[in-house]
Amino acid sequence: MSGTKTDNALIEIMGTEARRTDHSLPELDRTPDPWESSMQATCECLSWRGTLDNLERRQAEDRLGETVYADYPVETRSALVVAHLLIEQGILDEQELRSKMRQVRSRLEDV
Amino acid sequence: MTTAEHTHVEGPTEVSEFEVLELAVRELAIQHGLFSAEDHRRFSEWAESRTPAKGAQLVAKAWLDPAFKEELLSNGTEASKAVGVDWLDPTGKGTPSDYTYFYVLENTPKVHNTIVCTLCSCYPRPVLGMSPDWYRTPNYRRRMVRRPREVLAEFGLHLPPDVEVRVHDSNQKSRFMVMPMRPEGTDGWTEEQLASIVTRDTMIGVALPNPEWTAENPPNAKTGGRR
Repeated sequence: MSGTKTDNALIEIMGTEARRTDHSLPELDRTPDPWESSMQATCECLSWRGTLDNLERRQAEDRLGETVYADYPVETRSALVVAHLLIEQGILDEQELRSKMRQVRSRLEDV
Repeated sequence: MTTAEHTHVEGPTEVSEFEVLELAVRELAIQHGLFSAEDHRRFSEWAESRTPAKGAQLVAKAWLDPAFKEELLSNGTEASKAVGVDWLDPTGKGTPSDYTYFYVLENTPKVHNTIVCTLCSCYPRPVLGMSPDWYRTPNYRRRMVRRPREVLAEFGLHLPPDVEVRVHDSNQKSRFMVMPMRPEGTDGWTEEQLASIVTRDTMIGVALPNPEWTAENPPNAKTGGRR
């Protein structure tokens, strides 16, 4: 089950800009972004190496995607839920994630 | 094409929050030793190098061997092993997007099957490779379930009114593939010959195999794409 602390942490980290604007038939007018296939490979590696089982993650995506992260686009659920579960399990730390995201963002914006 | 002829295509310049999140999670996972960068690269390479050849082999084998056909239709996941496809590859637990049941749908003179994923772009990657761009478009996904005959006609496939069209909506737990009918004019063909005419689109269900057409021969003025 999700903890309120983790729910709020990720929602705060992502800010309001990433929220979905559609509320019916999501993602029908879009083509997948390259980061989505990378995220898929990350999910697969986490399962492969025994950190987060595929089926467990899928079920968490259904559960959290329809509740805590219902305001985010469907295709972003795997990224949100993987981060959520890794924080919840104490594998990643919320501050560590914030700091890494700042670092990544500045790297991407630098080019 | 020379370098000067290349048209520069401007991609999206804004960095997406999710792109940042994905990279951050991946890099932290690697830092924590949950998996390696090599694992990630290897998996991406594996997923992107699947092709429809295995699906075509399954169909050709089933056309030639009634016992195998029965096995393929009753347990697609298990029967796939006959052509070297283990749905649990490459992790031993499958992939999240290709989890977990694989069903082969048999076309008959009275039933024509097609596959779609209305929610996103679920596709039987281990046997068909990466999905074509049009499979992921709203045009296909939205309309195939509502007006399948109209969509099939746009692919050049006109089915008689007495043929029932069944549209199968894929999802995260189930993958489908169409087994087209073996066309006339292929008597005595080897498995390899038969597999060559079972193209990707025939296994999605938007085309029918033709003994004079293979996916390998490009449509051009010389051959018209024919064998």
